[in-house]
Amino acid sequence: MSLISLTRRSLFAAAASTALVAGLGFSPAPLAAQTPPGVLIVGQIAEPKSLDPAAVTAQNDFRIVVNMYEGLVRYAPGTLEVEPLLAESWEVSDDGTEYTFMLKEGVTFHDGTPFNAEAVKFNFDRMLNEDHPFHNTGPFPLAFFFSAVQSTDVVDDLTVKFTLNEPYAPFLSNLAYPTGLLVSPAAVEANGADFGRNPVGTGPFKFAEWRSNEAVVVEKNPDYHGDMAGTEAVVFRPITDANTRVAEMLSGGIDVMVEVPPTALSEFQGDGYQVVEQAGPHVWFLILNAKEGPFADKLVRQAANYAINKEALVNEVLEGTAEVAAGPTPPAFAWAYNDELDPYPYDPDKAKELLAEAGAEGAELTFYVTEGGSGMLDPIPMGTAIQADLNAVGFDVKIETYEWNTFLGEVNPGLEGKADMAEMAWMTNDPDTLPFLALRTEAFPDQGGFNSGYYSNPEVDELLSKARVATDQDERAALYKEMQAIVQEDAPWVFVANWKQNAVTTDRVENFNLEPSFLLLLEDVVKN
Amino acid sequence: MGSYILKRLVSAIPVLLGITVIVFLIMAMIPGDPATAILGSYATPENVEKLNRDLGLDKPLVVRYFIWLGNMLTGDFGRSFSLNRPVLDEILERFNATLILAGTAFVICSVLGILAGVISAAKQYGFADKAITFVVLIGISVPSFFLGMMMILLFAVNLRWLPVSGMYAIYGGGDLPDLAKHLVMPAFALAVVATGVIARLSRSAMLEVLRQDFIRTARAKGVGERKVLYGHALRAAMVSIIPVLGIQAGFVLSGSVFIEIVFQWPGVGRMLVDAILKRDLLLVQGGVVFVAACYVFFNICVDVAQSLLDPRIKT
Amino acid sequence: MTFLKLLFRNRLAAMGAVVLGLILLLVLAIPVLPLQDPDVTNTGNRFVPPFSEGHLLGTDHLGRDLLSRLLYGTRLSLGVGIFAALIAATIGSAVGIIAGYFGGRTDNIIMRGIDMLMAFPYILLALAIVAALGPGLLNALIAVAAVNIPFFARNIRGITVGLAGREFIDAARLAGMGHTRIILTELLPNVLSTIVIAMSTTVGWMILETAGLSFLGLGSQPPQADLGSMLGEARSALITDPHTSIVPGVMIFLIVMSINLLGDGVRDALDPRLRSGALSRPRAQTIVDRKSPVPADDGNGLLNIQNLETQFHVGKRIYRAVNDVSLFVNPGECLGVIGESGSGKSVTALSVMGLVASPPGVVTGGAVRYEGEDLLSANFESLRQKRGDKVAYIFQDPLSTLHPLYRVGDQLMEAIQVHHKVSDKDARAKAVELLKSVRIPNAESRIRNYPHEMSGGMRQRVGIAMALANDPDVIIADEPTTALDVTVQAQILALLDDLRRERGLAIIFITHDFGVVAQLCDRVAVLYGGKIVEEGTTTDILDHPAHPYTKRLMACVPELGGGKRELAAIPGLPPIVSDLPPGCAFAPRCEKATEACKEGAIPLEGSETRAVRCIHPEEEIA
Repeated sequence: MSLISLTRRSLFAAAASTALVAGLGFSPAPLAAQTPPGVLIVGQIAEPKSLDPAAVTAQNDFRIVVNMYEGLVRYAPGTLEVEPLLAESWEVSDDGTEYTFMLKEGVTFHDGTPFNAEAVKFNFDRMLNEDHPFHNTGPFPLAFFFSAVQSTDVVDDLTVKFTLNEPYAPFLSNLAYPTGLLVSPAAVEANGADFGRNPVGTGPFKFAEWRSNEAVVVEKNPDYHGDMAGTEAVVFRPITDANTRVAEMLSGGIDVMVEVPPTALSEFQGDGYQVVEQAGPHVWFLILNAKEGPFADKLVRQAANYAINKEALVNEVLEGTAEVAAGPTPPAFAWAYNDELDPYPYDPDKAKELLAEAGAEGAELTFYVTEGGSGMLDPIPMGTAIQADLNAVGFDVKIETYEWNTFLGEVNPGLEGKADMAEMAWMTNDPDTLPFLALRTEAFPDQGGFNSGYYSNPEVDELLSKARVATDQDERAALYKEMQAIVQEDAPWVFVANWKQNAVTTDRVENFNLEPSFLLLLEDVVKN
Repeated sequence: MGSYILKRLVSAIPVLLGITVIVFLIMAMIPGDPATAILGSYATPENVEKLNRDLGLDKPLVVRYFIWLGNMLTGDFGRSFSLNRPVLDEILERFNATLILAGTAFVICSVLGILAGVISAAKQYGFADKAITFVVLIGISVPSFFLGMMMILLFAVNLRWLPVSGMYAIYGGGDLPDLAKHLVMPAFALAVVATGVIARLSRSAMLEVLRQDFIRTARAKGVGERKVLYGHALRAAMVSIIPVLGIQAGFVLSGSVFIEIVFQWPGVGRMLVDAILKRDLLLVQGGVVFVAACYVFFNICVDVAQSLLDPRIKT
Repeated sequence: MTFLKLLFRNRLAAMGAVVLGLILLLVLAIPVLPLQDPDVTNTGNRFVPPFSEGHLLGTDHLGRDLLSRLLYGTRLSLGVGIFAALIAATIGSAVGIIAGYFGGRTDNIIMRGIDMLMAFPYILLALAIVAALGPGLLNALIAVAAVNIPFFARNIRGITVGLAGREFIDAARLAGMGHTRIILTELLPNVLSTIVIAMSTTVGWMILETAGLSFLGLGSQPPQADLGSMLGEARSALITDPHTSIVPGVMIFLIVMSINLLGDGVRDALDPRLRSGALSRPRAQTIVDRKSPVPADDGNGLLNIQNLETQFHVGKRIYRAVNDVSLFVNPGECLGVIGESGSGKSVTALSVMGLVASPPGVVTGGAVRYEGEDLLSANFESLRQKRGDKVAYIFQDPLSTLHPLYRVGDQLMEAIQVHHKVSDKDARAKAVELLKSVRIPNAESRIRNYPHEMSGGMRQRVGIAMALANDPDVIIADEPTTALDVTVQAQILALLDDLRRERGLAIIFITHDFGVVAQLCDRVAVLYGGKIVEEGTTTDILDHPAHPYTKRLMACVPELGGGKRELAAIPGLPPIVSDLPPGCAFAPRCEKATEACKEGAIPLEGSETRAVRCIHPEEEIA
């Protein structure tokens, strides 16, 4: 707080003198929109919903919370591999149902309370036990990440044990996800439902203030147990409008901008800016309704994959901010990715041939398009271009656009009776998540899954079930690779793009990196 | 006068109640539900159902309405799930920003509009009149969001005279000059259309009044032209200008939605749009009731001002 | 036909019509224009700048031809705007008419509902409607129409309420017509022009609103173009490729502006008051544009009107309201000026201090001398200083001539303070004194009254008091008693007469009533068709009217105590002064008229004390 008031005061003095010179304070010379050194200003895409890591679901909110909180484990920088953080080490029982973590000693929360096994237990019980006294500080929408957890037990002050009801391979990876970040029990007890506005964690930055719709400010945690943060403070500014965000970046109002609109990238090619890119576990696809209509025929589904010019989409519509996707698993999961698969080539003639073979020329298709949404990139231009490509080979596509929440409300319960295809994108932390939730027979919408296109292949079902309980990574990798080959051939989706997350910084920002996990870790960043 | 105000306040109650019903019904009609919005990609039917139960959305509509209304009357507007804080806190904070923006725009459009209209009428068919008429016409023909976008492009990005967006500078701000700098573009963009409408109306109201017999009387008394225009005529013209100010205040308040989006102003309009999209029922309902109450209250003020100005109105 | 003529006389409206016409023409010609398919994408060719080969306006973010999209989009946006206006107008007007016609509880309930809709921020209402119905241009159209219904309902209701109480509606009801028939055949035709005016002024607004919704992504579905969605889609490239935003933005601007211009024109052309060109601001002083030399001072009277000519110039027409009128009045004397309405007597009176509304009034000849100085040549400031101070007016109908929003005391004080540096307190005391002098009871409390709180007689007394405020030398009273009943009239006349005798006032008393003249005036001038047809002392004229018109005019007056005498109205109408006959203006209505009367100008013959303008006078004058 002291830093901010100091900076505020000195700048206030400067502003006041300018105001004296220039009347109301509009200096006729260009505004010196220089942000102060040591303070990093990040242009976010939206106001955070909450700063309680257990309550948030959006990447936008994750970007803030990962800098204030820490979990037992984290993704090692630059990878999606899990490494220790607040836990120094862990042991997994042979049957894969017991995880015991040895915690780091001497860690305290920002409010001074100690981090210990009790705190870990509190966190998971709060999320998972409906009768926990602070369960009502939720809702905790992603609690099902840990639905395999049967109990959390304190072994001793620095040892905690999770008991799972069945082996669950993604467990460690889920612990590294922001939902697994640990909050201060004392702060939850003190603030109750308002904890999300008064966050307390153990991370390199601690919460300073939240001015609604203006900024969330975090400042360096002087008592941090690891390496000190490189900046004094970070300000997260919510700027929902992409265009305004670009304008702010160009006029010097922010230092870092995430999710740069592809059309604006060319503005930042010159000196003074650096563009950072990082591929991550993201896949953008079209769900095809395999239950009814033209896409019930595999040939027609393959035809759609051939008909769409994915190169043009990623290189032109998305200005090279994505790569063409080959299958359901993004290459960012390097260990599980089948790199022998090539994407469906753009081949309209082949598509026409397949359509003729299937007798589906001139098929009328209803195409659900969203206006925006997490990971959806530029859904309307992409949808429009896809529509044009499909029409070019003889489909007759009609677009219906929906705002994101309505869109999910329409798509998640299944496309049956409504549409033939829908846009969708997922960002996941484990190769298991997406196929398990969206490609299995048991994941049909009426069974609580996201298989909105009703793809069903018993072989795939079996491969996925096996991979989930396998504890050996090589074994899992082999299973996933086999699954990808089958799914690509079956074409339940049109595989379109894997997004390369991007960000722009000014040249005053150093050590700025994007993570494959899409999380924005700012502790090493330096601002001159 | 006191009893008149009281009477008007009382008569506003059924209107406000009606608004609560309308907003509640509309929100109930909108497809998609808060649970889906909260859960995002993970909204399985099962999760959605559980969450809806947690949020108390499984009760019948009528019951929910009366629970909400009852709570609101005791000052409890509920908790916004999308912002994770009490609705009232959020509204008050946002409302403050909107009042600053819309209030400034309203002052700009009233003052500039009436001034332009009066000058235009006083110099009828002169150069000033033609120039004003032309500018006003341009003003009422440009979509405010387009104007806002163009202003950002010119004044913030190219010339760098003014900040792009927001209400205060993130650092070193918080004082009045800072607010003024941030306010210039949005307030002006918001005021343009209303200024045009008010200017046109003021002009014709002035012309109408200037033809009245009592203006001739004033002149026959030897009253100077300036006083005839700005005293006698303007005062009488205000009788027909004030109700239009009331209507324009409503438009300014509504129009602030676009401006708040374009300029990232942390106001209630943008909050409501977000809230509708996120299906944040309580926030929408509370916000709309607040805005409507503000509008109704403002109209009562207009009527009171009108009755103060015009003694012929029975109070 | 006249409507179109009127419309195009307004140059701005004509410009709007031309621009809109061009846009419509382009849009209608879409099928025959060599346009590219608006929906075919070519992503390799995106953001081509305007004026490039093959793309006149460039291409958008998917490489689609902007010109083609612009024209298709314009067609859609125009259609939606007009259609939404039609829907809103139809439903809104129906609601308004029903509320206004039935009144009472129906009205109350409907209007409360309308109030609620209006209190709901319109854009949020539209947003909520679209959210409920799902996106799409049709739903946006419904939303925009719905939020505009209150506007029409309110407007139309206001007018209907006024009409519903009128006789013809009662008559229709008595004739046994059903409600539906009355509404459709009696009310609707009368409110139709208002509906058209309201529509023409709101179409532009609707297009903006629809564009706003489309801008928020709630309008047309891709790939279909409308102007708002084009703007919305282009926004992300605003900084890099502004042309994609500017093209639809400018088009919206052009459409809305031309519709507004045209709408203004339609309103002006349909509004009867505007049609006459009367809605111009009168200047502080009547325009003086004398074609003939200023007559030399002949030394007559305190106030001397010499050969005055005042005309009204409306369009190309010239109304000769006052033709070569000469009058004078001495201190302590009362001169009556008498004539029917339209005879030019009020215009003569107003011309004296330059109070004829101008435009359209112009003084085209003669002189008005006060103590020998020509007021027509005086600059405004010196004229203003004499207004109310030397020469004061009393007007007819004090309800409209007193400012409705000022207390009468303040209006009196202003009259004093305009000419004399007097403290408020003294001015107020003087105001009370003035009110007392015109015999207003409770003057101390009356000064706090507003004009509408007083009776007609009281208001007229206030008018007189105001004229007396600065002890003027001349009072010009323009039919000050016409609006009053006989008793009050008598009191006021007596009052004026007293003042004349006490203060030596010169009074020019304008009236159409010989009875009033008889009571008050020393001399009389009779005006007809803007000319003096007869003048002389009151007794001479009353006893021996020489002009047939004077005689007929006198016959119209019932004489007190005169018993049953036949009141003879003058057949025919006063002449239209824009089209005066070459000879005697009264000839067409005169029983004694001969061919000679209609041939050439007839001079005013006789002496300064007695003259007549007639070749067949009733009585030869000395």
